[in-house]
Amino acid sequence: MHELSIASSLVDSVLEFLDAHKVKKVLTVRLAVGELNCVEAEQLCFCYTAITQKTAMENSTLEIETVAAVVQCPRCDYRGSPKYWEDARSAAPIPTLECPKCQGTVEPIQGNDCAIKTIQFVA
Amino acid sequence: MIQTIEASPDEIYDIELEHSLLEANAKLAKENRSLLDRHGIASIDVMGAIGSGKTTLIGRLVERLKDRLGVAVFNGDATISSDADLIARQNVPVVQIATVNGCHLDANLVGKALRKIDLTKLKLIFIENIGNLICPAEFPLGSKARVVVVSVTEGQYMVRKHPHMFLGADLVVVNKIDLASAMEVSIEDLIADVHKLKPDLKVIRTSCKNGVGLDELTASLLAI
Repeated sequence: MHELSIASSLVDSVLEFLDAHKVKKVLTVRLAVGELNCVEAEQLCFCYTAITQKTAMENSTLEIETVAAVVQCPRCDYRGSPKYWEDARSAAPIPTLECPKCQGTVEPIQGNDCAIKTIQFVA
Repeated sequence: MIQTIEASPDEIYDIELEHSLLEANAKLAKENRSLLDRHGIASIDVMGAIGSGKTTLIGRLVERLKDRLGVAVFNGDATISSDADLIARQNVPVVQIATVNGCHLDANLVGKALRKIDLTKLKLIFIENIGNLICPAEFPLGSKARVVVVSVTEGQYMVRKHPHMFLGADLVVVNKIDLASAMEVSIEDLIADVHKLKPDLKVIRTSCKNGVGLDELTASLLAI
């Protein structure tokens, strides 16, 4: 349940921002979550709702957008989307670190982060 | 990172922050790493499910290494210190990191543990993460390498069930191989799954029961 750690970090960061500015109420927080990150959106929203109660963020909306993974191959210089593992029993295709071009191991260069993009608020 | 704006009453503002939520941990992980590097200490983050055999494996490695170099162990455990007690019998420095309700170690907790022991005589620290194959993946600790232990008793599909954990690993140990036939688990298929996710990832087969693979694992960890 690392979503709670991430939600706490998110709320702390936003409340820190609110402290530094004249903000009455937060309306929306937009979060960008990398595809290679194992953050579960529904659980994160659940934690967010629970821990924002009785704060200036109460009743605000958490919007989560997924940032597509980009990988780079040190061997053949491929740069682009990762190769996906199409396992029939998996709920979604699993991104892998196998190079789609030369079958070597690629390095992720995008898709690992989890960041607050914007905050919409009433001053 | 945070932009400054002047707010007017009752206006709606939409501002860009670009504030990473994983950055605070990543920063502390870097601090841990530079502290360890300054002392010439290699650290290994050992991750794996509950019951995968992390503690026993670390115990066997400590037996092999403690007379050759200074070894310490951090045992991450939610509550009781049974794992830490087991390792402490070998007379090496042990710190139990009790996360209480936390499902993973983080760089802050490891930083605190590093301040508890004398680093001057150490060359290697094993950090046993909380038994969990999901959450620790997001929280680097500043270790030199991340090892994932997966045992055949967890079934045939553990790798594909928890792909993220393996994407971030530097070494995978397939443990309890003496039980593979009893469990009707194919070790080759488990390893093939690892290589589907990360083709060049080194995989070592071990059994703490009969000692298979432990010399190879020890040599690989010393080479990290």
